[in-house]
Amino acid sequence: MRTLGLDDVTFWYPATANPALENITLDVGPGDIVALVGRGGAGASTLLLVAAGLAPRVTGGRLAGTVSRGARAGIVLPTPWTQLSGMAFTVWDEVAFGPANLGWPGHAITRHVDHALERLEIVPLASRDPATLSGGELQRVIIAGILAMDPDLVLLDEPTAELDPEGARAVWRLVRSLAGEGKAVLLATSDVDALPDVADRIVWLEQGSVRAMGEPSLLAEDALCEAGLGTTVADLWRAAALPAPYPLTVVDAVQRWR
Amino acid sequence: MSVRLLALIPVTVAISLALSAAVDAVALPLFLDTTGTILATALAGPVVGIAVGVLTSAVNTLRNPTFWPFVVVQIIVALYAGFATRAGLFRSLKTAVPTGLGLGVIASLTSTPISYFVFGCTTTGGIALTTALGRALGLPPLGACFFGSFVSDFGDKAVTFALVAAVLHALPRRTAARFPLALRAMGAT
Amino acid sequence: MSALHPFSLLAIAAALPAFAWILPAPGGGLATATLALVLALVPDVRAGARVVRVAVLTAAPFWLFLLLLHDLPTTVAMGLRITTMVASFAWLVAALPPDRLVEAMVARGWSLTLAYLFAATLSAVPVLKARARRIVEAQRCRGLSPRGSVANRLRALRALALPLVLSALHEVDERALALETRGMGSGVHRTPLAAPPDRPLERAARWALLLLCLAAVIWRLA
Repeated sequence: MRTLGLDDVTFWYPATANPALENITLDVGPGDIVALVGRGGAGASTLLLVAAGLAPRVTGGRLAGTVSRGARAGIVLPTPWTQLSGMAFTVWDEVAFGPANLGWPGHAITRHVDHALERLEIVPLASRDPATLSGGELQRVIIAGILAMDPDLVLLDEPTAELDPEGARAVWRLVRSLAGEGKAVLLATSDVDALPDVADRIVWLEQGSVRAMGEPSLLAEDALCEAGLGTTVADLWRAAALPAPYPLTVVDAVQRWR
Repeated sequence: MSVRLLALIPVTVAISLALSAAVDAVALPLFLDTTGTILATALAGPVVGIAVGVLTSAVNTLRNPTFWPFVVVQIIVALYAGFATRAGLFRSLKTAVPTGLGLGVIASLTSTPISYFVFGCTTTGGIALTTALGRALGLPPLGACFFGSFVSDFGDKAVTFALVAAVLHALPRRTAARFPLALRAMGAT
Repeated sequence: MSALHPFSLLAIAAALPAFAWILPAPGGGLATATLALVLALVPDVRAGARVVRVAVLTAAPFWLFLLLLHDLPTTVAMGLRITTMVASFAWLVAALPPDRLVEAMVARGWSLTLAYLFAATLSAVPVLKARARRIVEAQRCRGLSPRGSVANRLRALRALALPLVLSALHEVDERALALETRGMGSGVHRTPLAAPPDRPLERAARWALLLLCLAAVIWRLA
């Protein structure tokens, strides 16, 4: 069973000749955490939009190949302030915006919103005006707004960009617990150091195509380090001209030293 | 209306209202308060433009209720900009500026009766002063009122049209192509 | 007063200026202007005083220019009408928080579109105003000054306005995507979050107000 299936997908934005994605085949099942890595413009954001069903429906453009989605998807985009609904004057109402649009009964909305606020540890912000929040607080409110809609496929584009290290760790813990509940997670991040502990699979994108796909140990391979996508530990090991295979994490490195 | 055009409306209204800060900084006698209306029309047609115009008036009204009757002017501006878009008149400054001057005449013809009958020609300070000047020059009351509106609208609309043309040409083609009318407004059909 | 349904508040704020123009001057205007100012002071004198101050400050320049351009009877007639309009709107803005109006619109089955446009505009305006001020500050640091020829100032205006407008337009995409993923435009009927109560008496009063306006128009035209 799969929650998301992309089969030989190619996608062009409007008025462009070169595809933003080319021949992508990818499966994400319940409980999977798949991480997209790549340099800016490699197509990770576009791939998430296609997975969410927003490209080409909202962005315009053209898609070849097939996309199958077994369930409802929710996507968290990179800049939090453009994702505020603009219709809510408290954080609680902001988080409730999605569930209310789905036409759920009031008690179901309350339950899901309260649960999402607790998960993101923003219960104390519930009655604040979203316009007065910091970037990090806003990021959590936006994630809560998506989780409150109870999506089976969670798509995250740079979910930790606005967060401090502690906030980022909390989001990664949350991602693991979502997968534990059987949700499928597809994410794009430049925080590659977090991935060995979070992701089940890594997809390396380059110029809209999949360059490599595999276990998180991929992030310690020479080619990825060359492209600037290796973990810090692997990069250091390589820069110090120590012998391959490079260690993936600090723990691996310590074991190698002993 | 698609969600994308829906999202365009609040943003363009906010553009109209935020530009006053830029105008103040360079101390020019302009309003630019129809920029959003004209821009939205050039990107997505007069229906979206009218929505932007009405909302701009509504938000202005919250700050100063005497703005509301001039909602009629915003609607006329959107309709006029709709013709300019179909004719591709945003293709260069050479076509955009005269089109804006034409709108200056039409906008002041529209605002004069409102200004005269509703407010006795006392709307914003500047218009009231030019109206007083018109009276001093011996113009009849309605003529003086038109003179006041015309002086303030003429340059404003020409600059607004020039600004919208500049914005359209500065948009990456890929972005412009995502709005239904942007390429046509630039005469590129 | 703010316990009234948002539509009732809107009806009152619309009816007062309508009567000011319909009823014979200056008596009609005097009555409506007084009523509008009293309305502001009723629930809470201190908050009301603020509303009255805003109304007076907004209306004052009109009186001045009216006096400059017209004779005394015209000044009084028009001044009272403008004062009514200003005062009733100032009162409305103070008495009606936008979120209550949005919820009332949604609860009444008005399209979510309309409620969105109203609310999203109110929240987008301060954001872009703040950004415009930051751009102006940044350009000031780089030597922007409000002097020089008109051509130079127009060039400076272009340098201020273009980045503001372009950055705002680029955000439209992400706003649209974010709204879509959160179920806007799904066509499902939205659940109202906190629908303000509407009493039958209030509904009847709103209709009565409308009929009264029509009656006054007919009386004046007859």
